[in-house]
Amino acid sequence: MPKEAVFTDLIREHQGLLFKVTSIYTNNKQDQEDLFQEVVYQLWKYFDSFRNESKITTWMYRVAMNTAITHLKRKKRRPDAIPVADAIIKETESKDDLYEERLRQLYRHLEQLNTLDKGLVFLLLEGKSYKEIAQITGLGDSNVGTRISRIKKKLKTNMAKS
Amino acid sequence: MELEELQSAWSQMSTELEQQKKLTNDIIMKMTQEKYRNKFKTVTTYETMGAFVCFCIAILFLAKFGELNTWYLQVCGVLSVSYLIILPIMVLSALKKIKALDISKGSYKDNLISYIKAKNRLLRLQRIGVGVGFLGMFFILPVCSKIISNKNVFELGLKTEQVVLLSITLGITSIFCVWAYKGYLKLTRSAQELLKDLE
Repeated sequence: MPKEAVFTDLIREHQGLLFKVTSIYTNNKQDQEDLFQEVVYQLWKYFDSFRNESKITTWMYRVAMNTAITHLKRKKRRPDAIPVADAIIKETESKDDLYEERLRQLYRHLEQLNTLDKGLVFLLLEGKSYKEIAQITGLGDSNVGTRISRIKKKLKTNMAKS
Repeated sequence: MELEELQSAWSQMSTELEQQKKLTNDIIMKMTQEKYRNKFKTVTTYETMGAFVCFCIAILFLAKFGELNTWYLQVCGVLSVSYLIILPIMVLSALKKIKALDISKGSYKDNLISYIKAKNRLLRLQRIGVGVGFLGMFFILPVCSKIISNKNVFELGLKTEQVVLLSITLGITSIFCVWAYKGYLKLTRSAQELLKDLE
């Protein structure tokens, strides 16, 4: 199977993963699409360097999150910008009002976190174990646990306020 | 709203996104090629163009250095040439360091640390650039005046309206410099806090 075909299959298979990573580091549809494109480019650029030492998704998480770090922009509010949560609601063609409201709140809370905390919460929401999170982020297992409980407290306080 | 509700919204979103397979092979391959836009590519292009202009002016100053016939004009000349060569080189090297991050290998933490450090280096240089740029007016203008119109501004008397105009210009430039400096400080402060937390 040619390399291009393997790569496109991989991206098609995991486009949801990439969509989610790019959505948490951006706050509007346009930025999210730009970052998505950049992540796909970086994955292609480094595709040959993947050595099967870890799961392909672990590698994809790492490349996508590392790309997002260098893509961070100052928050500019444009009146015509579509918030990323609304873009997802449109993408998933949802008709569930409760889910839509929760999703908007979720992104509002995520937006308030710093880059590191965003990454940790994202991996936690993805159902990753502390060990996997440590593997992707390069933090120690216990450090991950401490940080996550601190972030949970912060989120709880923020949620109580809103 | 509870954390569990956030988790459930995320899970529902994940399930629904899983069912969406909108990307075609063509779209994916296009993303790997010509449509790629990198913001650092744009910044580097502008900075390289800026550096080129600075180097050209520096070369002109060096070529006409003999026309600077007093010791104070020569000091201004040396300062101007140094400013026009050193700062652009430092900015371009800071940009090179940001671009050198190995996205495929380093962990999230390592890349975040390297990125914040490289970005702060760039911001620090831009901050210095604003400050030195303000002072630069005092040593670049006399050199320009001497080289372009053969006038030594240190020996020319200024008329009242020229003094007023110069004072207004200096006032506006000072306000701009303080504003820009504060902006850079604000930008680096939160990054510094995150860096401290990581190390």
